[in-house]
Amino acid sequence: MLFLQTLVNGLALGGLYALAAVGFSLVFGVLGIVNLTHGIFLVAGSYGALLLWEHLGIDPILSIPPVAIVLFGVGYVYQRTIIHWAVSRASLVASLVVTFGVAMIIRNLLQLWFGPDIRTITPSYSFSSVTFFDLRIDLVRLIALGMSLVVLLLLTALLRHTHFGRSIRATAQQPLAASLCGLDVERLYAKTFGLGAALAGASGAIIGIVQPFSPATEAGWTLNAFIVVVLGGIGSPAGALLGGVLLGLINTLTAQYIAPSMTNAAMFLVLVAMLLFRPHGLLGNAMGESR
Amino acid sequence: MTATPRKLFLAFIVVLLAIGAVLPGYVSPYHTRVVMGFFMFAGLASAWNILGGFSGYWSFGHAAFFGMGAFGAAKISTALGAAAGSPAAMILPVAGATLIVAVFAALIAYPILRLRGIFFAIAMLGVSQVVTELVNNVSWIGGGVGVFMPSPVPAGTRPEVFYYYIFGALLLLIILVTYAIRRSKIGYGLLAIREDEDTAKMLGVPTEHYKIASFVLSGVLVGILGAVYGYSLGYMSTGSVLRLDIGLNMIVFCIIGGIGTIWGPVLGTAIMLFITQVLLSGFLDIHLMITGGIVVLMILLMPSGVLGFFNAKRWIRFRERAR
Repeated sequence: MLFLQTLVNGLALGGLYALAAVGFSLVFGVLGIVNLTHGIFLVAGSYGALLLWEHLGIDPILSIPPVAIVLFGVGYVYQRTIIHWAVSRASLVASLVVTFGVAMIIRNLLQLWFGPDIRTITPSYSFSSVTFFDLRIDLVRLIALGMSLVVLLLLTALLRHTHFGRSIRATAQQPLAASLCGLDVERLYAKTFGLGAALAGASGAIIGIVQPFSPATEAGWTLNAFIVVVLGGIGSPAGALLGGVLLGLINTLTAQYIAPSMTNAAMFLVLVAMLLFRPHGLLGNAMGESR
Repeated sequence: MTATPRKLFLAFIVVLLAIGAVLPGYVSPYHTRVVMGFFMFAGLASAWNILGGFSGYWSFGHAAFFGMGAFGAAKISTALGAAAGSPAAMILPVAGATLIVAVFAALIAYPILRLRGIFFAIAMLGVSQVVTELVNNVSWIGGGVGVFMPSPVPAGTRPEVFYYYIFGALLLLIILVTYAIRRSKIGYGLLAIREDEDTAKMLGVPTEHYKIASFVLSGVLVGILGAVYGYSLGYMSTGSVLRLDIGLNMIVFCIIGGIGTIWGPVLGTAIMLFITQVLLSGFLDIHLMITGGIVVLMILLMPSGVLGFFNAKRWIRFRERAR
């Protein structure tokens, strides 16, 4: 029973990880950029939901659309200016350092504005839970898992069935061919980056009701996103879901059966092992350039 | 380079050395500490540069070697029960810690160096994360509660002056090592790996051996600095040596000075420490923002660092004159 409960917790956590990583995965797959600002966008989303909740009493779930729209704009402008300049003047690897620098700046701004304390969002349903047979799961976790799946499904539909989604996938495969076919690749890059930031913000709003957050938690979320992408593969919601669920299971199983303080070590051991032995991801569609 | 600038440069170095040798007698203990910190971080950045700068393998996890050096020395000195007050008691623990770091680096070198670019960077971050959690949670190592190091400072010497000279000597040693490597066959091999690893391999450069050698050397130098730093703290826990910012500062200082040059890491450390510790020491709550801002501006305006920027300018002037 304990094992089943651990699995259920792992699955619920995995849904969150998947949503938190999918924007990172999209940007990595389409632009080839490891966006170290991803985690701070996510935390900014949590703070956005917190502001709306404290001042206007808007439920965090309802605050997803406004938070996502604002972050889409931020991501769009950010890519058109700083990221674009860094890639064109220096290199793709330089963008790693630039995004790291920007993450430091935003983190500092959030600390000045909200203080370095750990915050939580506690709507009325925070402390209730649901019981199936003997398995118990917090209502907020269930809602978060459900919302994650909804957002991932919406994203899948967007990528599959709309013109915008098709052009994103085309650009990911072959930027040159895509631009020869008449797509404005530069604008598309900015829109994809905006979409990635919006997804980070949406997951931040959801994560805000499940887990405590502070500006300093951003690094952990960025690293988690990277691990999810390595496990599941680049650029697809399905891959993010697979990677996220695996990461969630690794996390809860380690905490339950080895030691709660060893979860990060276990996650990174899996990451290093994956990169070494199965660099193309479990689905075999990514990471070809890792060596 | 003609003979005259070279002689000027050497004279400049000699003057700097002379000033460095007598400085602690003339400045306050606080400023002695600031310069000591500069020696240590310049040493760390230069050691990182041997791998990251020359071969292009950017490690985000060198803090692991730093922490291992510190805790290795602590473990050995506790086991030996060394007496306080004698500098000679440092020798065995530091040497032992160096050996531990060397063996560890050699063990992980082959598998981890098969990864490239961003993947190597993140995998090294993973290594440092694992080392940090192990040091923190394995009670035998004692990172969680912290460990004491017996002070090796001889009676009558001020501790900051003692460590000032040790870190100064270590920085000198690391710069000499960097210089020797840069001028050696292995140095040219590493540069070839940075420019195009597959081509270098095809042309007969033993890439695997060179990469492993520079990885281990770079890690060992960082480990030695870590061991001495542990002594200078006297008491340390995991958080005092296995800090993410130590690993990141090495990279940032190199980027600012000029990655892959001999003096770039030293110059970058001097610039950054001067800005953050001297000019802006009163604005602690916006340090992160300033550091981040400088990093972003540097990448956008001078992607090859201060030295690379001026070298490029000199090169353009030289070409114009030649026309």
